Amino acid sequence: MKVVTGVVGNDIHVVANRLIELSLNARGYEVFNLGVNTYLEEFFDAVVETGAEILMISSLNGEAEGWSREVKALKSKYKNLDNLIMMIGGNLVVGTGNAEDIVPRYKNYGFDIVCHQVDLNTGLDMLESLLEERGLVENKSEIKNIKESAIQERNS
Amino acid sequence: MSLLQEEREIILSNEYVDTFDFAEVTEFVKNASKDLFISHHFKNQNKMLVQPRGGFPTYKKQFALYEFFVDANVDVLPLTIDSNTRLNDYATSKKMLRLSEENNVDMLNGYPLVNHGYRTTRKMITHFNKPVSLRHGTPDARLLIETAIASGIFEIEGGPITYLLPYSKNFPLDKAFLYWKYVERVCANYSKLNEPINRESFGPLTATLVPPSITIVIQLLEMLLSLEEGVKSFSVSFSQQGSMNQDIVTGAVLKKLARYYAEQINCGDAAIHLVYHQWMGAFPTNKNYAEQLINMSTVIASMVGADKIITKTREEASGIPTKEANAKTVANTQYTLGILNGLPNVVDEEEEEMLTLQVKAIMEAVFNDPADTLWRKVFNSIKNGVIDVPFSPHIINHNNMITIRDAKKNIRIIKRGNVPIPDRCYAYDKAQCDLTKDTTSIVNDIIHDIGIMQ
Repeated sequence: MKVVTGVVGNDIHVVANRLIELSLNARGYEVFNLGVNTYLEEFFDAVVETGAEILMISSLNGEAEGWSREVKALKSKYKNLDNLIMMIGGNLVVGTGNAEDIVPRYKNYGFDIVCHQVDLNTGLDMLESLLEERGLVENKSEIKNIKESAIQERNS
Repeated sequence: MSLLQEEREIILSNEYVDTFDFAEVTEFVKNASKDLFISHHFKNQNKMLVQPRGGFPTYKKQFALYEFFVDANVDVLPLTIDSNTRLNDYATSKKMLRLSEENNVDMLNGYPLVNHGYRTTRKMITHFNKPVSLRHGTPDARLLIETAIASGIFEIEGGPITYLLPYSKNFPLDKAFLYWKYVERVCANYSKLNEPINRESFGPLTATLVPPSITIVIQLLEMLLSLEEGVKSFSVSFSQQGSMNQDIVTGAVLKKLARYYAEQINCGDAAIHLVYHQWMGAFPTNKNYAEQLINMSTVIASMVGADKIITKTREEASGIPTKEANAKTVANTQYTLGILNGLPNVVDEEEEEMLTLQVKAIMEAVFNDPADTLWRKVFNSIKNGVIDVPFSPHIINHNNMITIRDAKKNIRIIKRGNVPIPDRCYAYDKAQCDLTKDTTSIVNDIIHDIGIMQ
């Protein structure tokens, strides 16, 4: 399963981005990490180029809110992205806000999974549940098996 | 006219510069007070020099900050530059400076030196008659350092690697090397006129689990790139890592190898100093805890034998510190240094040997690169991952090295990527860590290891 990920906009906070890459690799995904300071067009171009099934955008400084409003319009310019799973996480507003307001707003922007200040592993579990729901993986253990073999490889 | 002078005239005929008078600036440096040169203080002072950080947009606020620092018994004044100037966007910094002056609010996160110009800034620097250190983060600092030296700022921080890999995603690294070559040459030329201009490298890098071998290699390489252009006074630096023992070992190895490699290129006559940064990672939001952390950093700096310490403030977690908080740290740090007496001499031979082996192996791989000049060898080594900085946002960086903390909080390499860490050292590092956990737990450990001081 291929994932394109990165930090949206002029945000240069890199630590979580690296940890997301490590965790996705550990769970058996094939990761294309665009890193920090990535614009929306670059995300969608990368999805087309790699044939990724999942786009995972993150934001630390909260500027995602501004960018996300343009997601639908931009995505519609690309062909064949209707089945793309769109996920976003991090701090999704500048300043403070609560998840009950933020999540529906972002779903409206076109995201399938919205994680505002959610723990990394909880977020990745949410992704796995959605994949299972959509029949993209047989069950969670399928990713887990890939994950375990990846760990064995690492530890050897 | 030399090529360098031709380039200088192009750089200084910038529309934001109010006619640069080369002859007048040369005369000024030649006759400048020795007190303005940190290299002079390094030579003549036996105590660790204390330097805070700080920059405000307006002349007035910067002046007031310096008054507070002087009252707190500061040794070295900082001049921190705003982020627009760092990216050579002098138009925006000019506009923001005007807004700051008119509305009495700070619209910039530092002092826009190019916009203020050297004639104005020099009045402030010579008024206080203390050494000033230029703190920025600029890949192309040519105009900035010309303005700084003309203002009486005789210490320039930075370098092509340490000011790029932690701060930028895609500024071309090869360009940064060439722009910094200009900086080194200008510093070297001015150094012939009076006391030497001191260059300082920025050792903290990303301040996020960078292993000491990578820090030291980059310090040594930036030092060599500077000395080979004729710089005669250089400071290598690093920041608190989380384990007192590892800091002491790092300081010892860095000092020894800096001297060793300087002699290898026949630059043994250059003065080399060691600078220690108080904790540069994530700070506790509790301001009392922040003060305890700062105090502990000062103790470790003494154990390390640093020549200069760069301070943080109790307000680190909450944004740009007030001048009061900033001056308070200076006073506290001076107090701690004054009462720290009879420190034990700690030597860990095994750790020193392991670290020295790692550094020498990486340095050898860099020198063995087939390129014709040192900067190209270093460029290639970063490009092919022989040098790999954990958590750098730059696209050229490999990010294949993984580090975690062992039980004593030493930073250890558990995945070396393309970095030629000798097998023996790699096995030693891994043996200190619990690697039986699955990757998810290791990622959780890394998150914890980054935030150990919070």
